[in-house]
Parts: sequence; structure tokens; C-alpha cells
Amino acid sequence: MNKNEFLSLIKSRGATIFATGQLTDINITNTNLQNMRAAMLPSFLQDFYTTSFGITLGSACIFGPKEIERGTKYPLPSITKVNQDMLGNKNLFGKTIFGRNDLFLFAFDTFGNCFMLDNLTLSVLRKYDDPYRAMFDCLIVGKI
Amino acid sequence: MQLNEHSAMERLAALGMDDLPVIAYTPQKCLLDKDWFKKYSQIRREFLESLTDSFEEIAFMNLPQEEFVNLIMGKVLPDNLSIRFRIPLLWGGALDISNMFLCWTFPHAYNMDRFIIEQSDAKTIYLPNPEKKVYLTSHTGGGGAGGNATSDRLTQAAFNTISARGNE
Repeated sequence: MNKNEFLSLIKSRGATIFATGQLTDINITNTNLQNMRAAMLPSFLQDFYTTSFGITLGSACIFGPKEIERGTKYPLPSITKVNQDMLGNKNLFGKTIFGRNDLFLFAFDTFGNCFMLDNLTLSVLRKYDDPYRAMFDCLIVGKI
Repeated sequence: MQLNEHSAMERLAALGMDDLPVIAYTPQKCLLDKDWFKKYSQIRREFLESLTDSFEEIAFMNLPQEEFVNLIMGKVLPDNLSIRFRIPLLWGGALDISNMFLCWTFPHAYNMDRFIIEQSDAKTIYLPNPEKKVYLTSHTGGGGAGGNATSDRLTQAAFNTISARGNE
């Protein structure tokens, strides 16, 4: 699955795709993640952030480089904030969380591999070779 | 990190949920059925349909009219609302409506995830266990000034409920 196929598929399911922002926000996020010793943004996510800074579908979401205001709803936290909140968990060493739903968290590692983690212990449940499949699986649970 | 009831309540207060009751639970690792996801989807729908008895709590959420009606009718779960298990399935929780509750995804469900993950290596885990089917903190509840829009009427209904209870 490529980026356009993913966006088209997820849009047809009713996802809210937020606008993109400035390139400097991506660079600042990378620096912050590096300082936390988390995995830096892989190329697929940097490419995705040039199109959108985040997606929500029901209770599922993909986090972006910046906090996203959502009118009367609580803002969507940035990827930096989420990973700061989870800092210190041994199952998360070398990984960065980029998405969540009611059952699972989704993370990538330094090599750009994506993982489905359980939301109780952060242990790996599944590894993905296709990052957009991981993003799709993350979001689709929000609307079952 | 092993917590006790006092430290669990303190941590929840720090996460902005000081009125959330907890239950001490010793996780029992269990395997899920092959068709658990199908059953999970079904029970979520049944839970949504059962929310008609939680009108008051949902009115306090100040949802827009369409989202409010869809939720009360059990049709669609609006954005930023999560259905959670009191005792997680992987730790022996039942796939049953009585084991579920509704809350905001951000900040509450997200912070409940953090609260549980922080205890993941402990023997006894303190799990969020709200009294009712819908969890809404006292910080986010409350009435409004009233008005003509449907959302305002819902706000007013919520305010009237508070007044009737003498909790203004």
C-alpha cells in the first residue's frame, strides 16, 4: 500500500485528515525524539507529514509533529508529548509510538519497521513490513 | 511499579482523574478465542445500544446534537469517545457489557492507558473502575448559560439535572 492508496482508503471510511504544517516542525520533532533516545522519524512518516499532520477515525489516531486543536474536542497531542509520557518503559526502548486505538498502540523503530503493541504492557504483538498497512490497521479499529 | 490504593489514587489525581474509583486485580494471562475480534465488534455495538439508560451522563458531555442523537440511538460512536474494558480481555476480563464503560479518548482513556502501563510489571494492578457506564470527571461536567441551539438545550438539561440534585 502506498501513501495515496492509504489516504484514499481511510478517507472512504470517514477519517478526519488534518492539514500539514511547517517543515521545521518535523525537524524539531526529530531533534526532540533524538534527545529522548527514541527512534527518529522514518522516511515514510516524514513523507506522510508533508501531506498531513495527523489523522483521527473515531477513537483511533495517528499523532503528528504538533498538537492539533479540534474545536470543542480535546486537542490531539503531538508525537513528542505521547512519547515523553511513556518515557522509561523498557518495552519501548528504541521505539517511538505514532498511533493508538482502544486496543493497541502502534510504534516504529530506528529501521522504520512498524509494530502493533498491546496497550497494557507495550509488548510487541505484530511486526509490519508495510508501514501504511500498520497505519490503516491502527485507524480502522476506531470505527468498528 | 507496584502501587497501593493510596498511591494509585494519588497517581490518578495527578492524571486529572481524582474521582475515578479503582479495583485491585491480579492479572491472569489468558488466551483469546480465534473469533474474539468478531465478538468484540458485536459486544461494542450492544454496549452502544445499551447507552439509552445513560442519558444524563451523556448530556453532560455537551456533544453536538447529531453526535448526541447518534450515540443515544446506539448508531455511531462520536470521535474522541472510547469504549474501554474494566478488566482487560488479555488479563481475564469478560467480553460482556458489564465489563465495559465509555469515556473521552483524550485525555481520559489515554491517561488510563498510561496509568495501567506504569504498573505493567506489578503483581497487583489497580484498574480504573467507574461506578456508571459513562465516566466523566467532575472537572469536565457542568451546566451552561442556556440558549436556543440544541447543544445549548442539552447543556440546559444537564444544568437542570444538577440543580435538581442540589449539586450546583
